[in-house]
Amino acid sequence: MQLVRPSSVEEAVAALRGGAVALGGGTDLVPLLRDRIVEAETLVELHAAVPRGVRRCTPTSTSPSPSSARFWIGAGTPLAVLEAEPEIPTTLREACRLAASPQLRAMGTIGGNLLQATRCWYWRLKFPCWLHGGETCDAKEGQHREHAIFGNERCASAHPSDPAAALLALGARIRTDRRDLPLAELYRLPTDDDRSMTTLEPGELILELELPAAESSIYVKAMDRQRWAFALVGVAAARVGGETRIALAGVAPVPWLVSSPEELEQATPLPGTAYKLEIARALVQRALAQL
Amino acid sequence: MRCGFWRNVPWSGVWHEDRGVKIRLTVNGEPREADVWAGESLLTTLRDTLELPGSKNACEQGECGSCSVLLDGALVCACLVLAAQADGHEVTTVEGLADREELHRVQRAFVEAGAVQCGFCTPGLVVATAALLEANPDPSDDEMREALSGNLCRCTGYAKIFDAVRLAARS
Repeated sequence: MQLVRPSSVEEAVAALRGGAVALGGGTDLVPLLRDRIVEAETLVELHAAVPRGVRRCTPTSTSPSPSSARFWIGAGTPLAVLEAEPEIPTTLREACRLAASPQLRAMGTIGGNLLQATRCWYWRLKFPCWLHGGETCDAKEGQHREHAIFGNERCASAHPSDPAAALLALGARIRTDRRDLPLAELYRLPTDDDRSMTTLEPGELILELELPAAESSIYVKAMDRQRWAFALVGVAAARVGGETRIALAGVAPVPWLVSSPEELEQATPLPGTAYKLEIARALVQRALAQL
Repeated sequence: MRCGFWRNVPWSGVWHEDRGVKIRLTVNGEPREADVWAGESLLTTLRDTLELPGSKNACEQGECGSCSVLLDGALVCACLVLAAQADGHEVTTVEGLADREELHRVQRAFVEAGAVQCGFCTPGLVVATAALLEANPDPSDDEMREALSGNLCRCTGYAKIFDAVRLAARS
């Protein structure tokens, strides 16, 4: 395995051609490399290449509400910077603060956080599960207490990102080296033909995010311990331009938008995850009451 | 040092023949260099190459904090940072806190408060506490809990540890 350290976006994109693996903060990738779940001949360290930082920005033509204030965030910005950024919407700040321990928030980047792999123990232990290309989802038959209640027909894994739910509720957009898209279009439920969880093309690199200022927003999270653990259920709610949006973490293979609290009743919980639906109902109610 | 069976175990914590990456970094104030495998963790380099075994290797998942070190002053898990990511940067380990024979005030406080049982989590907690007090000399109980939330102790519970943090803050 070799390591390259590009110093510009162009160099990074060139280095990522041919199956190289991008390394952001490393908090998710380093254990995956060690456990050989991710195999790489070349690692591309993004530290000096991908932008970092937060600033207010002028609205772009693609902004859904071009008149309001917006924020630009470099994809290489660590979560610890975002949680301490007083101007950005509360839901994102709180989601970053609650996402992980101080050690992980210091290294983990927002771009990498959006792309982190599932915590499903079968997948992480390299069971030949459906997501690894096999026939069946081991979690559905086996232990699945931390797994999905939505979108779980083929794979019951739960997406662990708190900031992704916050950014979905805000209607954030991302820009990659080749396109600009709503964050909602970054994610896809895996299918029999294509089991990836994102629409990123090979070697495509997330560079920046853009999000609106919210009139009001909140992030609430149920965990197994009071201070940092992956979300059993995370609920982001945001009111932007008079419209309220709700997104959930830890409930589906990808971050999950719901159009109304009633949509929670369309959940398809497994025997061991029925409790998550009750938590989701309570947290959505609490989030909307405090919005 | 590592041989036989261990060579075949596919962890980053294990010796790899391919050590094609040269890193230069400052560790505890001294310039150091090492030849590392590209996928090697900073923790492995610190312990096995730079002979600084104070940072402990426990979960290797970033959950326990036993390997906590400062990277350019920020508290990180050395098991989740590649050695190559630390190239050109400054690392402080628990070995770098004491001033020769004179223990750091956080170390003294842990001894005085009896905040150590088996001791495996202690180096990480000491580094995390030193980082906390550097940033916030008079933390509230809530700020202490937040700052140490990434460090697990499986022996004592945390009462003595928080006593030690309070003691260190006062000293």
